[in-house]
Amino acid sequence: MLDLVFLAFIAYVLVLGIKRPFVWVLLYVYIDIVAPQRIGYSLITSLPVSLIAFAAAFGGWLVLDRKEGARFTARQALLVMLLAYCWWTTGSADFPEEAATKWDWVWKALLFAIFLPFTLTTRARIEGLALTLVLSVATIVIGTGIKTVLGGGGYGSLNFFVNDNSGIYESSTLATVSIALIPMIWWFTRFGTIFRPHWMVTGFAAALTFACLLVPIGTEARTGLVCIAVLAVLLLRYVRRRALFIAAAGVLGLAALPFLPQSYYERMATITQPSGDESASTRVAVWEWTIDYAKEHPFGGGFDAYRGNSFTYVMPVREGEGNTSSVRYKKVTDEGRAYHSAIFELLGEQGWPGLAIWLMLQGLGVVQMERIVRRWKGQGDETPDEREAWIAPMAVALQLASLVYFVGALFQGIGYQPVMLMIIGLQIGLATYCKRLDSARAGLARSAKAGAGRARRKAASPGAVAAG
Amino acid sequence: MIDQFALALGHGLLAAALLRLALRDDVDADPLVAELGEAGAARRRAASPTGRKAARRAGRAVPGREGIGAQSGGQAAHAGEGDPALKQRSDSAGKPAQAAKRRAGDRAQAAKR
Repeated sequence: MLDLVFLAFIAYVLVLGIKRPFVWVLLYVYIDIVAPQRIGYSLITSLPVSLIAFAAAFGGWLVLDRKEGARFTARQALLVMLLAYCWWTTGSADFPEEAATKWDWVWKALLFAIFLPFTLTTRARIEGLALTLVLSVATIVIGTGIKTVLGGGGYGSLNFFVNDNSGIYESSTLATVSIALIPMIWWFTRFGTIFRPHWMVTGFAAALTFACLLVPIGTEARTGLVCIAVLAVLLLRYVRRRALFIAAAGVLGLAALPFLPQSYYERMATITQPSGDESASTRVAVWEWTIDYAKEHPFGGGFDAYRGNSFTYVMPVREGEGNTSSVRYKKVTDEGRAYHSAIFELLGEQGWPGLAIWLMLQGLGVVQMERIVRRWKGQGDETPDEREAWIAPMAVALQLASLVYFVGALFQGIGYQPVMLMIIGLQIGLATYCKRLDSARAGLARSAKAGAGRARRKAASPGAVAAG
Repeated sequence: MIDQFALALGHGLLAAALLRLALRDDVDADPLVAELGEAGAARRRAASPTGRKAARRAGRAVPGREGIGAQSGGQAAHAGEGDPALKQRSDSAGKPAQAAKRRAGDRAQAAKR
């Protein structure tokens, strides 16, 4: 039954795409995030729905799209470089089979991120992609939020639609992505044109934000808590009443404390005392190993190079109960421990060149969005034109998404996370759109200037006076 | 049950959003970019030698409109220069002849006063 519902939805979007082929691009975005082929049980699992959607998206763009204003940008060039570099390191990887498995999804995610900006040529398309991203993630987050409220949370025990701990269905990744998208959710309450600003839109945004904030609690993902704190600090730059915002955040945080389970406190305590937790304490050891590895392999060891690591460290283990508990230190040997950081993931797998490309990709996005905010927010008290007022807030939402993701990525190996690559695509699309507006305006101003010069020359010449 | 509710809500909203998007005309061509492009093209046409000649011819063809007709090319090109509204209001730039006419009228009123 579930399979039929998914297939009916996909067929419905494919039919809509006959009128507007861009919708097929959004279909791929939905399939890539929600992964209905992994949620279903029978028929849909045997169909290559992702391939069908990509073929429709790319074919539709190639054959039917006007491609007006589509440009190849510097950040797309960086994505191409990263893709080519990953392909090269996969060929000489330390673990060829595992590297080939990861390469199999990474190249698709990178290729789609390169392709996506070519399709984002209008405001409606930029908004359509943003809305599809939000609603696709919302589909997962809503269920997670309700389960958390009803007491179904816990580290490693909260059930998603898919329980293979991969992609966006990995608890820390979902926590990071859901927190990163909160500013974008609120953008729709003011500037949405697909669902116009309405109390129902605001109500849904508030409920969804609450669900997003519950994800780190339900999954007990420490990174999620760090991301919430970072987002709160970053928002201070944009809120009008800072004191009220800080007070409200404090009150909300305090009000939430009695409802949090004891296991959540215990897990969060390991943020400041990483030595007491295996997952946290091994991170530092893996990062040190990666730096040493990069000294020997400056050009990277290919995907999953971490499988070659092995290290022994001492970890405190608490035994007994109540007053009789004692702490014993035991030696733990770990092998093939994952990077737990996108920075070290890129460093170990793609070496210094790959890390440099990735950092430039992320950094340029933040800088580019900052430029757009400054250019389009309006001069002084003057508010921008109604048709352009959405640009600066969208750039703010995308910049915050990038920064929150970057902080989250410091503690997780999510360097090639498809949702965040789509955010990069969205940033490039917005920047290209703004450049088109600017260039059209510059053309208008140039022709006005030239005309004015001609009029002045004409007025100055005696012939013109006689004629006039 | 919770999963089914979340899937139904998410897919319902996605279905409505995609339908609304597919029925819109501004998905494939951005109205603002198109408007600015047209305004620029109209200005270039008006400011070109051919455009100025056409404007003069149009002025001669209508008796009593020589002044306005002869001015329209230059005026149209002039409209908006140094005008802060140019950045925000491209709609008036899209109709250069009317804008020039309006300004000439304003000047005449001011002279009378």
